[in-house]
Amino acid sequence: MMHLLLRVEQTGICQWIRSTDSIFGYYGILTVHAIGMGIVVGISACVDLRILGFAPALPLRPMEQFLPVLWLGFWMNAASGTLLLATDATHKLANPDFYVKMMFIALALGCLRLLEARVFRDPRADTAPASTQARMLAVASLACWLGAIIAGRLLAYQAAM
Amino acid sequence: MNAVHLHLLLNHIPTVGFGIALVLFVSALVGKSSDLQRAALAIFFVTAAVTLLTYVSGSDAQAAVANSPGVSTALIDAHETAALLAFAFMQATAFFSWLGLWTWRRIGRVVAWNRTAILILAVVTFGLMARAANLGGEIRHVEIRTVLDSGAPAADAPPGERLTLARSWGRFVEEHAWVWPTCEILHFVGLCLLFGAALVVDLRILGVGKRLPLAALYQLLPVGVLGFSLNLATGMVFFVAMPRQYIGFLFLLKMALVVLAAANLLYFTLAEDVWTAGERDHMPITARLAAASAILIWIGVLFCGRMLPALGNSF
Repeated sequence: MMHLLLRVEQTGICQWIRSTDSIFGYYGILTVHAIGMGIVVGISACVDLRILGFAPALPLRPMEQFLPVLWLGFWMNAASGTLLLATDATHKLANPDFYVKMMFIALALGCLRLLEARVFRDPRADTAPASTQARMLAVASLACWLGAIIAGRLLAYQAAM
Repeated sequence: MNAVHLHLLLNHIPTVGFGIALVLFVSALVGKSSDLQRAALAIFFVTAAVTLLTYVSGSDAQAAVANSPGVSTALIDAHETAALLAFAFMQATAFFSWLGLWTWRRIGRVVAWNRTAILILAVVTFGLMARAANLGGEIRHVEIRTVLDSGAPAADAPPGERLTLARSWGRFVEEHAWVWPTCEILHFVGLCLLFGAALVVDLRILGVGKRLPLAALYQLLPVGVLGFSLNLATGMVFFVAMPRQYIGFLFLLKMALVVLAAANLLYFTLAEDVWTAGERDHMPITARLAAASAILIWIGVLFCGRMLPALGNSF
């Protein structure tokens, strides 16, 4: 397994990403990753905060139209994240923090799926106040994104060391 | 042109801008003119935004003159501390001024406590700013130095060794390893709030999610502004602790883009036609351009910030 990971790290593209001065190299991919994070977490947080009572005049159900943008951000980050992982696979995959980050992201996306089913498809979502269940999901979603950001930042410090 | 030129170009704007806005604000309160009041709040906001560039270019200006003959490092340090205090109060004034403009569009007036907060903060800021500006002037202008601090270069500490407010903070950050990562995490959280709110509002103006009423979307602006405030505060934590890490073109570009973004936010906060447009109404071209440029500006800010470790000298 370790051998395979080393082979991945030593592929031409991964070597180029690590060593190039081009803006499309390591930091360029990190930039894409940061923009993707802003899109996914940002839109998700807007939905969560709305459920929790911010901007009460804003109808919830039409916010569903922003979910394709959110998923665009998600795929941007899946792609850039895969490249970042491949360049440092032996260290990242041996680091428990990496799995903590993945778990938080999976849980946050789970919350989003549940909110889609229970809030966006609920015809009463915009007439009745948000249910306790919806509020709990919104809080859980914010907490998971915060967890993913913390784990991601700490992962970056460990990579630098 | 470098950061030193920029510092010299912009160093009167904080004092003059706040002076003008303060006079307008007091006249508006006395004359009960709400238009004048909004103009004053807008000038407070714009002045504070431009002052960001004045403040961050000061570090390069300091490095440029610190070793010149006749320049007192004590004076430079005093100027830096005075400027930091004035800057903090100025940003607080700008925050409440923006809040005032935002509530004005919603309820047609600025609430009393907010007016009072702006007045007190603006008066304090103007006093602190005038002092910072005067100390800054004294660095190179012998003719305005008071007798007391004109001489005694022998008692002067070597550059960078006197324990100023900023250097104490730098030392605190150095000695407490948790401060930097914590602030970076908060900087990323702020980024998400800011970028998310900007994206939803700007994409809606550009035609995404047309069923969302724009009038209601106006309520989302404070989410973005709170995210920005968090990032301004944590960003200052980084800059004040290690100013020499944030020099060079890329960082100045990031700050200049933030100033442009502030102007963009002011446009959307004051605009009427944007927020009253219905689902089928035609969105004015200026609003579309402003929305598209806002998204590009924030992507630019993220790019500059993320590339700083690669192209600059920070981490």
